Amino acid sequence: MGENVGMESQSQFLELSDEDPDTIYEVFEKHGWGDGLPLVAPTDKRVTEMLSYIEASPEEVLTVLPPRGGSATYRSVAVNAVLAGCKPEYFPVVVAAVKALGDQRINLRGVNTTTHPVAPLLIVHGRAVDEFGFNSGLGVFGPGNRANATVGRAIRLILLHIAGAVPGPGDASTQGQPSKYTYCIAENQKENPWDSYPVTIGVNSESALTVHCGENPHNFHDMESENIERILDKAASAMTTFGVNNACISGGEWFVILCPEHAATAFDQGWGREDVSEYLFEKARMPAGHFREQFNLLAWADWMHSLSDDELVPMTQQVENIKVLVSGGAGKHSCVVPSWGMTRSVTVPI
Amino acid sequence: MNMKIHSPEGDLMDEVVELSSTTPLFSGGKIGVLENGKPNADLLLTKIAEGLAGRIDAKFSITTGKAKELMLLQHAILKLLECLQRKFNWF
Repeated sequence: MGENVGMESQSQFLELSDEDPDTIYEVFEKHGWGDGLPLVAPTDKRVTEMLSYIEASPEEVLTVLPPRGGSATYRSVAVNAVLAGCKPEYFPVVVAAVKALGDQRINLRGVNTTTHPVAPLLIVHGRAVDEFGFNSGLGVFGPGNRANATVGRAIRLILLHIAGAVPGPGDASTQGQPSKYTYCIAENQKENPWDSYPVTIGVNSESALTVHCGENPHNFHDMESENIERILDKAASAMTTFGVNNACISGGEWFVILCPEHAATAFDQGWGREDVSEYLFEKARMPAGHFREQFNLLAWADWMHSLSDDELVPMTQQVENIKVLVSGGAGKHSCVVPSWGMTRSVTVPI
Repeated sequence: MNMKIHSPEGDLMDEVVELSSTTPLFSGGKIGVLENGKPNADLLLTKIAEGLAGRIDAKFSITTGKAKELMLLQHAILKLLECLQRKFNWF
């Protein structure tokens, strides 16, 4: 089995000796491509069908992705969406995610090359959730849903192949993390007692996508409490740790993803999502002296540096950095997603 | 039966970025180079600081912060830095 590489006017093709799935697997391994999992062959037919779901020139550049500096054209993005197993109708969501990653606020060069395990978390909002069959309920983080799994995987393959965020030559992540395979969820608006998250930050679009670059979710559960404070005390406990970058980088955000039951408890008590953020801002704190014992370098806001050792420091410098949304199903488990720190979340229309 | 597939990599493109404005250098001024404690950051930044000092005819000195555990110089890393220096004509 083997491959020949030919150059055509706008795209590079590989000719494989046969259609056996093992052949593409081995060719990709030889090139240092792929994520270690079986791939869907990006034939011209499949790529063309993927591209048919967007009205744009295939060679138009969405963005240039660091550290490799590869151009993410509609075509190259479509190739990776095919590889990941995306249905063609998911393509607008993948495109939105690539556009978001190209936003300077993400700091993709840092995200892709750091020693931290950070991965971009994609959160789908609005009409696109039901339209494309994303899972926003039970098991939202996986496994089992094709849209969640393949859209998240498409982004990882784009970061590997186009951006060059390959472990070693590009990605210096010491240990990586499972969410570097795929990391995509959907907001559960049906069971959300508040407005959809994009509305709260001024993105008024039927469908939207948020990208937040952070760690794997940190779970917390409360099966017993009938008041939201006691539930959020567990969230605060999960947040107050020296092991997250939020401890030493005060500009980092938190995404607090409440399950529907925890959100309902807050709502029934008359709380809005801002009340949840404010409670956590006040509660998730540790004495400044403890931070100073643990870190030689603290990338803190000036006002935090001015605190005495026994004064309590929040796990982020402003309450607006604590973002709250609703996802998941029944069972009273929620989670917090710490940030890599030197990155800001971005929400874009789909 | 042969199968033709697209390559997953995009073409390389030069990214056009706007550089920060430069600060004029003045006699008696100091340029600080701070390393963040990442592995071998001290070696890389020391080399950069030495080269920069040589380029602008400045005095180079090392200031250390809190005491750290002594680390053996990694000769492989130093050799790599010297190769990169020659290859890309740094300083």
